[in-house]
Amino acid sequence: MRYETVIGLEVHIEMATQSKIFCSCSAKFGGEQNDHVCPACCGMPGMLPVVNKKVVDLGMTAGMMLNCHINRVTTFDKKSYYYPDLPCSYQTTQWFSPVAVNGTVTIETSKGKKDIRIKQIHMEEDAGKLVHDEWTNTTLVDFNRTSVPLIEIVSQPDLSSAEEVVAYLERLRSLLRFAKVSECRMEQGSMRCDVNLSVRPEGSDKLGVRTEMKNMNSISAIERAIAYETARHIDALENGTEELVQETRRWDDIKGKSFAMRNKETAGDYRYFPDPNVMPIVIDDEWFAKIKGTLPEFPEVKKARYIGELGLSDYDATLLTESRALCDCFESAYAECGQAKEAANWLLSDVLNILNKKQMTPDQLTLDGKTLGKLIKLVTDGKVSRPNAKKILAEMFESEIDPAKYAEEQGYIVSSDTGAIEATVREIVIADERSVTDYKSGKEKALMAIFGKCMKALKGNCDPQTLRQMIIDVINSI
Amino acid sequence: MEKETLRLLCKVNQLALTEEQKDSFLKFMDAREADIKALDAIDTENVERMVHVMPIMTVVREDVEKKLFTRDELQKGAPETMDGYWQVPRVVE
Ligand SMILES: [Zn+2]
Repeated sequence: MRYETVIGLEVHIEMATQSKIFCSCSAKFGGEQNDHVCPACCGMPGMLPVVNKKVVDLGMTAGMMLNCHINRVTTFDKKSYYYPDLPCSYQTTQWFSPVAVNGTVTIETSKGKKDIRIKQIHMEEDAGKLVHDEWTNTTLVDFNRTSVPLIEIVSQPDLSSAEEVVAYLERLRSLLRFAKVSECRMEQGSMRCDVNLSVRPEGSDKLGVRTEMKNMNSISAIERAIAYETARHIDALENGTEELVQETRRWDDIKGKSFAMRNKETAGDYRYFPDPNVMPIVIDDEWFAKIKGTLPEFPEVKKARYIGELGLSDYDATLLTESRALCDCFESAYAECGQAKEAANWLLSDVLNILNKKQMTPDQLTLDGKTLGKLIKLVTDGKVSRPNAKKILAEMFESEIDPAKYAEEQGYIVSSDTGAIEATVREIVIADERSVTDYKSGKEKALMAIFGKCMKALKGNCDPQTLRQMIIDVINSI
Repeated sequence: MEKETLRLLCKVNQLALTEEQKDSFLKFMDAREADIKALDAIDTENVERMVHVMPIMTVVREDVEKKLFTRDELQKGAPETMDGYWQVPRVVE
């Protein structure tokens, strides 16, 4: 018999905010243990949560990016479970009226395009971190991550292979990074995934027994886990090797196996209850329109425009549209200098090189595109040579400078006095009889020696092509 | 409330009640259930679902980071701490 896998995903994404969801503590990653805490996020009696408006903004943004209906009245609820990483013994989340419902995400795989339905997106708080201390045989609790804002994106069980799951996760990551909802970095835990999986005979409309694997945080581990679980389910159905039960399983990526988790009885009974301390959020037309107005172009729309309207290559357009920060910088540089190919080249070679050296991702780029555009214009207008422009670019990463002013201060402006340049070239050519003889006897390399000396004497303030031609002209004239 | 429901509730909340406490709690809950049943007599056919008990909506703040407390202040009342962590009985397996 042939089988099909039915997969639904719950994806948790940490939102890019300064402060936590219900208090003003820092939401930044890291910090010393319990350094980002206050009475609210460590669950002290009498504390009152106040919703961070940015969290609602980003929740709505995510909903709109995934074609969801936005609930204009959205409320928070308590989800009770008892564990020391949760100081209140409940998590404040959304159950009865989540911020966004009924969306779709279109994915593309080797089998073509497919729409994955989104059941809902809800806003909630993260839990703290527990560390086991061998020495005292106790558990140590760090509340820095408690109340860090998350959105959970719940899909319908529309996915049917690891390939589709990967395409779906990559699509989510691309859309949410573009909309600046989150950096979606799985390796830092800012994107985590619960995989719900069942298997049924092909064509059957009845769902099989479903198991859930929680907190998966790497795409390759997810692929391996799906392959293993699918095989385990099929084996159980075909050969009766074990009885499948609805349960939460832990994926052990080193052993390459999933294991049933204990405490089955305690799972699932969360006793959802409207949180009386968090007032309902009413999203009026003005708020709704404001967020709608901030939505970015979808990456593939941008890419098509870069190729079609701006004449970029497919390769360059693909690289640029992998990062919203690169796109933003590119677009304002282009607006300033009017030369799309130049702007793309500068970003994709020089700027990316500098980021690489600084061990930064393209999304961390803060370079002002307008300033980059000004620099490009200086080069294409022949006012600054390329090598000197690279030095100016490096300085732009260190301090806020105006390229033209800086070039002036550093003596990087190309002399428009060709007579003076020619005089320098002539002086050097005449003094270097040997190189001239070598060049005339066909040794191209000899020209480079003269070129180097001239460039040095001119402090790089000359267009290399022009200088080369001028040297040849001078040699030929003597 | 059924005894079994109470057993599960105790388990998920990690509460150890004596038989006496359980009996008294079950009696208490039975009385509350009776109170709530009395509400069934009211016709709520055309009443809109109440989202919240307070007539206050959209209490939000701007996304500004503030540090209002030190770790030492917060851990003053903690029974056990270690290296800046709250210390609790072992739960991690
Ligand atoms: Zn706090």
